[in-house]
Amino acid sequence: MTISATISVEHLRKVYRVYEREAGLRAALRGLIQRHAQEVIGVDDLTFRIESGEIVGFLGPNGAGKTTTLKMLAGLLYPSAGTLQVLGYLPWRRERSFLRQIALVMGQRQQLIWDIPVIDSFELNRAIYRIPSAQYRQTLDELTDLLELASLLQKPVRNLSLGERMKCEIAACLLHRPRVLFLDEPTIGLDVVMQRRIRDFVREYNRRTGATVLLTSHYMADVEALCQRIILIHHGKMLFDGELTRLIERFSPYKTIAVRLQEPASLDPYGEVIGQSEDRITLRVPKSAVAPVTARLLTEQAVIDLSVEDPPIEAVIEHIFTQQEEVV
Amino acid sequence: MKRNTMRDYLRLLGTFFRVSLLGELAYRANFWLQAIESLIELGTALALVSVVFTYTQSLNGWHASELLILIGTYFLIGGAINMIITPGMSRLIEQVRLGTLDYLLTKPEEAQLLVSIQRLDLWKLLDLLFGLALLVAAASWHGSWPSPLQILAFALTLLAGAIIVYSFVLFLATLSFWYVRVENILVIFESMYEAGRWPVDIYPGWLRATLTFIVPVAFAVTVPAEALTARLTWLALLGTLALAALALLVTRLFWRFAVRHYSGASS
Repeated sequence: MTISATISVEHLRKVYRVYEREAGLRAALRGLIQRHAQEVIGVDDLTFRIESGEIVGFLGPNGAGKTTTLKMLAGLLYPSAGTLQVLGYLPWRRERSFLRQIALVMGQRQQLIWDIPVIDSFELNRAIYRIPSAQYRQTLDELTDLLELASLLQKPVRNLSLGERMKCEIAACLLHRPRVLFLDEPTIGLDVVMQRRIRDFVREYNRRTGATVLLTSHYMADVEALCQRIILIHHGKMLFDGELTRLIERFSPYKTIAVRLQEPASLDPYGEVIGQSEDRITLRVPKSAVAPVTARLLTEQAVIDLSVEDPPIEAVIEHIFTQQEEVV
Repeated sequence: MKRNTMRDYLRLLGTFFRVSLLGELAYRANFWLQAIESLIELGTALALVSVVFTYTQSLNGWHASELLILIGTYFLIGGAINMIITPGMSRLIEQVRLGTLDYLLTKPEEAQLLVSIQRLDLWKLLDLLFGLALLVAAASWHGSWPSPLQILAFALTLLAGAIIVYSFVLFLATLSFWYVRVENILVIFESMYEAGRWPVDIYPGWLRATLTFIVPVAFAVTVPAEALTARLTWLALLGTLALAALALLVTRLFWRFAVRHYSGASS
């Protein structure tokens, strides 16, 4: 009845065995001979579906299980429990026909070869993926155009800046035209301009090829710009799955009211003052109180300008995570 | 799905070769350094032999010209090992440490193949060529040229020796999946390999056993040299071939087990 989703994950769980090491030389020496294993839960009971062509943002603090989930989806890790399917394949079997259709880009790890021109690393991927020449040329032209690589292709990788290298890394992963793209922190360490470039590219690539994209990022701007839908995880557990705007509605019980006054006055009675600069004051007000407080402000104060805003998404997410910590 | 043809593999190999060559050409001074290093090593080996043979006519049954054949074999196969086998393995260890092995494992190609051909130290070709030249020179000095059968046995044992060393080194490098830093094991292998400059039967029993079965230097150097100097028995030849097949199989199984383990446990 339902068309099978591009990615479907049910009750996914991943438990690591890690060897703990106590501090100190003596313990370290003992560890050479005898190691104590401990189980750590990386991902716990995740369930979600991603349809073809979606761009989904994967959010969570460090260690939440984002990368672990991506790696399971890309076939690098074997799940401890639960089921997952990507393009109808079981990723951990690493069948060639599956691997040919996906790509994993890790912002912090490099695959291009350091000493040789970028184009030659591309050639290597072309040979590994056995990309027919006509298709290779066309894809390369397209990527060169979209990412502005023309001046970079002949340079050795070691002569590139971080941003330039990242563009080339991404291009290298896309030469075989993957239908599913896993991006793990693709913009990490890049300046704002380059971040936007990468972001624009991902959006354009998705639009042109209809590829499904799952990305993790620490930068909210990435997620806000690219993803209609986000999945929020913390301690390996799903906290939220849905549209970004709904996240704010659901998790933020506050709105902020920014007011400019003709003459300074204390606005403490109206709500919690969270910012004050020259003549502009920012208040935090419970959602239910927004209407009455606004009305009172307009009648009781000499207001030049007033606006009601959602709190910044970072603040909302931080709020969620800190709340979670308290629960845990 | 498209079948993988031999041509595809040759093309893959060719591309890796080209990329390695480009990488080496980026540091051209290396070529000269390598040439000097190889010459010094060869010179030292030859000087040692000439010193030894000023005192004796034969070393445990090996005459000077036969020992030169052994040294030629040592350089020939050592060149091949250092050109093709160890560079990829030390890269593998690095990839495990940096986590970039992940990229390799997401490629639609057999990971063991990619790991094994991913890097070539092309200038080690010099060792290989020096070894070959020395073999020819030593054989002509020896007086009698080896028979076609001996040359065939030499080629077979050389191949078997290379396979045994490959399996051994890959096995060691694969240990990095559990114990992340194992570069030192490769260093141990390299220094043990130097012992192969002499026929293993001149060493005391315990060391000979070590060089035969623990660090398989004997199979890489002594056995092929024996083939060329009419010392090899049929039994030893068959044994060597069987051992090569077994080593390849065991390492293959171990590699697959390790990749599964890596997938199951790494972060």
